[in-house]
Amino acid sequence: MRAEVVVVGGGITGVAVAYFLAERGFERVVVFERSYLGSGSTFKCAGGIRASFTSREHIVLMKRSIELWGELSRRLGIKYARSGYLWLASREEDLERLKRYSSIHNQFGVSTRFVEPGEVEEMAPALDTSRLVGALYDPLAGKASPFDAVHKLYLASREMGVEYRFEEVGKILVEGGAARGVASSGGITEAESVVVAAGVWSRQLLEPLGVSLPVEPEPHHAALTEEYGRLFDPLIIDLESGAYAVQTFHGHVLMGVEIPEQPSWEPGERLAFLSKVVRVWSKWLPWLPSANILRYWVGHYEVTPDHHPVLGPVGSIENLFVATGFSGHGFMMGPVVGEELASWVASGAPRTEEAAHLTLRRFEEGRLIKELAVIG
Amino acid sequence: MRIAEHPILEFKRENPHTFAFEGVEVEAFEGESLAAALWAKGVRGLRRVSWGVLGPFCMIGYCSGCLVEVDGRRTRACLEPSRPGLRVGRIGDYVPRLAAEQPGKAEELEVDVMVVGSGPAGLSAAIVSGESGLDVHVFERHFRPGGQLVKQTHKFFGSGELFGGLRGFQIAERLVSRAREVGVRIHTRAPVLGYFKEGFFAVSEGERLLLVKPRAVVVSTGAVERLLPFPGNYLPGVMGAGAAQTLMNEYGVKPGERAVVVGAGNVGLIVSYQLLQAGVRVLAVVEVMPEIGGWLVHAAKIRRLGVPILTRHTVVRAEGGEQLERVVVAAVDERMEPVPGTEKVFDADLLLLSVGLTPESRLLAQMGARMVWSPELGGYVPYRSEYMETSIPGVYVAGDASGIEEATTAILTGRVAGYSAAVRLLGPRRDLLEKREEALRLLREARRTPFSARVVRGLERVIVRVAQ
Ligand SMILES: Cc1cc2nc3c(=O)[nH]c(=O)nc-3n(C[C@H](O)[C@H](O)[C@H](O)COP(=O)(O)OP(=O)(O)OC[C@H]3O[C@@H](n4cnc5c(N)ncnc54)[C@H](O)[C@@H]3O)c2cc1C
Repeated sequence: MRAEVVVVGGGITGVAVAYFLAERGFERVVVFERSYLGSGSTFKCAGGIRASFTSREHIVLMKRSIELWGELSRRLGIKYARSGYLWLASREEDLERLKRYSSIHNQFGVSTRFVEPGEVEEMAPALDTSRLVGALYDPLAGKASPFDAVHKLYLASREMGVEYRFEEVGKILVEGGAARGVASSGGITEAESVVVAAGVWSRQLLEPLGVSLPVEPEPHHAALTEEYGRLFDPLIIDLESGAYAVQTFHGHVLMGVEIPEQPSWEPGERLAFLSKVVRVWSKWLPWLPSANILRYWVGHYEVTPDHHPVLGPVGSIENLFVATGFSGHGFMMGPVVGEELASWVASGAPRTEEAAHLTLRRFEEGRLIKELAVIG
Repeated sequence: MRIAEHPILEFKRENPHTFAFEGVEVEAFEGESLAAALWAKGVRGLRRVSWGVLGPFCMIGYCSGCLVEVDGRRTRACLEPSRPGLRVGRIGDYVPRLAAEQPGKAEELEVDVMVVGSGPAGLSAAIVSGESGLDVHVFERHFRPGGQLVKQTHKFFGSGELFGGLRGFQIAERLVSRAREVGVRIHTRAPVLGYFKEGFFAVSEGERLLLVKPRAVVVSTGAVERLLPFPGNYLPGVMGAGAAQTLMNEYGVKPGERAVVVGAGNVGLIVSYQLLQAGVRVLAVVEVMPEIGGWLVHAAKIRRLGVPILTRHTVVRAEGGEQLERVVVAAVDERMEPVPGTEKVFDADLLLLSVGLTPESRLLAQMGARMVWSPELGGYVPYRSEYMETSIPGVYVAGDASGIEEATTAILTGRVAGYSAAVRLLGPRRDLLEKREEALRLLREARRTPFSARVVRGLERVIVRVAQ
């Protein structure tokens, strides 16, 4: 069978691209996943969603993504809540930083605002506010369940005719300067277009074609406590350390913080992470040292030099598209990336002008994008 | 209810005491788990969640059906030994509390051989490496060593060398005392949390964290009972066959009054017989296949006692409010689908699932050992050499964690792993190599029964031969 579009990778990006392609009327879309859906970075992520960034590209695209999260949640029943983000400052200098971020957010129409301790206690009853110097709240932000999102997008796209094949793609086939399919463990699948959504591993797929993706596999760790009743609604961020914590839909606290790491394809668990994440969060959640930690894992951020994704046509090879390099924000971007890539494949152009700034070309041309608020 | 009389077991009930569950006094004896004492008291639903009441499924620390709050801390009731005066409650809408005590400091521990799990495989590995003069530490998360042997009441076949003629729990006692005799240190209530890239295993023991740096490791973490998907499978009273054995054979607690057993393999047939010995009525044994899977002598024994074995049948639903009240079974067609109109309803308060086990090999997977899916061996298992070494040099696997078999092969793979660890640390000494060959020979012999044919087929795909 000749496919219209082959999508390589069954993470949030792959299933969202497939969903939006099918919605646009593509009838022969095939997704290849070498392991299980979500097995890359997606099922390891925290599920945080926000538009409170500090670059125009991120803000515009994330705002659209948030709209889409709302629609998808209504249409497909994906577990999603607009429960906010709350940045916590325990030092004057952190508060100053928050003020700078906030003015950029507001300039681009993301209405983050400072909240009083009383309001903090209301939205986060389990938080110890004795060291609070200031808190910035983003009411537009929220969270979704990565498992539910991938599962429901998979079901809905399959319903619309998308085919899923659990095979590894070994090679992207190129002829006469244009992509013409893929070779997988199951044989050759011809296609009119190929979308590479293989997360950090996209690099290995494109390298043999002479396309070099500036994406580094950066290990990032996360741990999950046992379940609790309601502790805090928004995803919380400790500005001093960059650590984040979110209470999942099941009630677990999922938390992460950066530790010194080198890019690595095979990262491992480190006790240093557990010690640090518990120490850092004890500042705000003093009961944390007595909590049971149920799970701890390490996954990847697909990090680019300017912390913005690589989207759209690779340029040098026709009908070949890529969507990765999300630098820690690929989950929240899933829906908008799906929509933009579907538009690119269908019409040769993205839906939004800002997406066009994010192609691979910017690295060749040295037009990198500036982002001030990357969160651990 | 506690079992008063049993044809082959005698229950030592020492140091009676009480603890409080939701403010009500519960009687318990020394060495009993909270879960067993609560079951004896008639408490069934230990957890309430938004969609129902849950009870224990496995009784050995895997499921979370017995999660309770003990003195302000969440724990599994099956892993918690009863002590006088404990305050135990349902977790309900649990809110975290401030830690009363400061966490202890981490301590480093360097050992020759670290054994994870104290079942027959782990203890056997520990014994042979201990006998070779190595410093061996066994880590076990339960409060009692011995693994699943402690609930086996049938007599083992085989020679004296392999404990023939003894019952499982007696073998466990011998292994434990032999291990101690040769200087093995057994740490109980000491779960191994994982391997960390800094180069150690973290073990939680009491209030301290141990950072264990071993020169060789044997992973003998056993297996987990499988659950079947059907409506009501979470109800208190639906449990693994092994969980019922834990209750009745280890603690002398009657698991129910009227039981249905799913699965007519050896475990299902043996557990049915043990239920009858414990005074439980067995209403039916249900088997989805057209044939009985276990030894026919076991099947004949329970049939003589009036238990019907329904082949080509499966469980379709469990019903009840606060606990299991009814089990609905139905005949299946060629595609194993239930046939409408063939339902039979049993008024049962106990539904035992005896539908196989899955190797508990997650520690090895987390460490990065190369794993493979083997239907014949029950799930994900590590590739290993015939000397039980995994793809990580110096890391060995033994027992059910390497593939589902039974206690004799667990003992033998444990010995092979233990000798291999010794060979690695002490060099290829003739006596060690000879004893390892002898264990391998016994292993081949033990795998000659018809039940091993499948396992042997599975092993062909997971054993990587290496040049000596
Ligand atoms: C600890 C942690 C926390 C995070 N928190 C957040 C957060 O709160 N919010 C947020 O937005 N993002 C977060 N992220 C980032 C987010 O997880 C990723 O950016 C996102 O999941 C990337 O999705 P993806 O589909 O592009 O890639 P992946 O999920 O990695 O999917 C790629 C898929 O491709 C498959 N694949 C690779 N090569 C091949 C091949 N040759 N053939 C077939 N299949 C192949 C892989 O198996 C994989 O399933 C977090 C990441 C981590 C590690």
